[in-house]
Amino acid sequence: MIDMDKLVDIENSTQSKQVFWDQDIYDLELERIFGRCWLFLAHESQLEKPGDFFTTKMGEDSVIVVRHTDGSLKAFINSCTHRGNSVCTADSGNTKSFVCNYHGWVYSTDGSLVDVPLKEKCYHDEIDMASLSLPSIRVDSYRGFVFGCFDETAPSLVDFLGDWGWYLDTWMVGAGSGVELVGPPMKSILKCNWKVPAENFVGDAYHVGWTHASALEMLGGELGGLAGNRANMPFDELGIQITTRHGHGFGVIDHAAVGIHEKRDGYLKFLQDTLPSVAEKLGQPRAKLYDGHWNCTTFPNCSFLYGTNIFKVWHPRGPHEIEVWSWVIVHKDMDDETKREVVKQAARSFGTAGTLESDDGDNMVNSTRNNQGRHTRANNMDSRMAVGYEGPHPDYPGIVGSSFIGETSYRGFYRFYQEIMSADSWEAIRAKDDQWDDCFPNKDYWAKRLAAKANVGE
Amino acid sequence: MHNLEAKERVSMQLHYDVSQHYFHEATLLQDREFSQWLETCVAKDVHYWMPVVERRYVKDKRLEPSPNDMAIFNDNYDELKQRVGRLGTGAVWMENPPSSVRYLITNVQAFHTDHAEELVVLSNFVIVRNRSQLEHSEHVGCRRDVLRKVGDGFQLVSRKITLDARVTEDKNLYIFF
Repeated sequence: MIDMDKLVDIENSTQSKQVFWDQDIYDLELERIFGRCWLFLAHESQLEKPGDFFTTKMGEDSVIVVRHTDGSLKAFINSCTHRGNSVCTADSGNTKSFVCNYHGWVYSTDGSLVDVPLKEKCYHDEIDMASLSLPSIRVDSYRGFVFGCFDETAPSLVDFLGDWGWYLDTWMVGAGSGVELVGPPMKSILKCNWKVPAENFVGDAYHVGWTHASALEMLGGELGGLAGNRANMPFDELGIQITTRHGHGFGVIDHAAVGIHEKRDGYLKFLQDTLPSVAEKLGQPRAKLYDGHWNCTTFPNCSFLYGTNIFKVWHPRGPHEIEVWSWVIVHKDMDDETKREVVKQAARSFGTAGTLESDDGDNMVNSTRNNQGRHTRANNMDSRMAVGYEGPHPDYPGIVGSSFIGETSYRGFYRFYQEIMSADSWEAIRAKDDQWDDCFPNKDYWAKRLAAKANVGE
Repeated sequence: MHNLEAKERVSMQLHYDVSQHYFHEATLLQDREFSQWLETCVAKDVHYWMPVVERRYVKDKRLEPSPNDMAIFNDNYDELKQRVGRLGTGAVWMENPPSSVRYLITNVQAFHTDHAEELVVLSNFVIVRNRSQLEHSEHVGCRRDVLRKVGDGFQLVSRKITLDARVTEDKNLYIFF
């Protein structure tokens, strides 16, 4: 029997190493997390015309997402209702229908079964076509980002994102036209538990200076000072970290959006030119985030770096392996040359052969693999950095940590991980909507800090 | 450069010289002599490119990837130099102890072009990477190069690297192809 309270200790901010290794925990994750959360599928820029499709994964389930002839988006399980074979074997494309290679059953772009070979002669016209549609999946999109959900009782996508959507709007709406994703995605295998990169992106700016020392040293510039943690930096003044309901979270380094991009003139100019209208449209607090560099995870497995603009999904393949899919985010209003340069720089730093990407893999593999040892995984992992240096903020929703380096959003991620793994239903999760942040008890942290700062200013 | 047209096949002697150049290049990379590789085997106007190739249906009419698309490698000389520089910082923790990377370069076919000093050369590769205790990965694919005759040797003007695998079965591709 899995005891989630024991595996994830909210009060002491520790997690059992078993969560990166045990098969029974993973099986429960597929049921309770991947089976109940909204999972990223595709971006609408990939699915513009009727018949445009993209094949992806939700947990370990193969899924097709497609633009139906009526203009709506549909998603269904990529498995023939006859004997289970795949009905689509391409990465993407445009089609009028999906035809199973096995016996030739034909499905429309809404998943309905429209033709069966030898229907009259061999089924004697007695096949109930209407009951044999591909199993459909709830699908919805937020600012063009398409998500799917297996659970009919889950909240709407917009409610699932909650305050995280408010933050996402900073650049998903931005100056008005928003963003698109550039693919097709790079894909690679990483032999780690899916939560290792998810937690890394949600809240780990701490590793940047050390893990990425070599790349930062070559890069120089504003982030070069982080290399080897040598620079004496006032970390509490350079950014914040945020966790919101449902485990989403991010950290932001102020004014560092383009920091990882070697060539950045066009990109920087675009951000500078659009900043005033972001401020006007969305207000000063979000304008302050707009030219920052963000490390983020949308719970559970969709991570990205806004600024660097790499966008990733960690598809689980058992407890000890993932597929990493990587796209690049570009603002729709950028000119073509700037878009190309952003794509190039993002792939160069965090693509499959990325100068920074290449630093991370080994840590993630070993953080997983070591737990093969039973005495190793009998221990806990620690995420107590700056406990208490966090709380509600007058300008920013959720719980806000003191600096971009801290583990506030780790704690938020695992708080929700424990909650959803323990909960029998979304109803039980909804019941805690007003108390989810009780585990961050220092409610006056920001009031005191901002007052102290104001006093110094006087 | 990637589309430079291949004309007649080169002579036996020139084919031998090209093959020897490739084996020398592989030896430099195996021995981690990356700076020497860059300085002697790579032209200053190089374009080093590994596109992302989707699995598409045969009837799919969309264009093949171009260097304007997102790519795994899309480097000029300075960008390659930066990759080499990173490996020399002493701060690439995963390369200490270093990986063993072995290059098998085969199926070399070299052709003249309309440019007297430039050849189009096709080759296949198997690159085997061993790390740590049991970590092992293999990368199989092909290269379409443009080589320029420089002095007694050759320099790489463009290299299009195509991997056969859609999903890279390795934690990264921070190796040279």
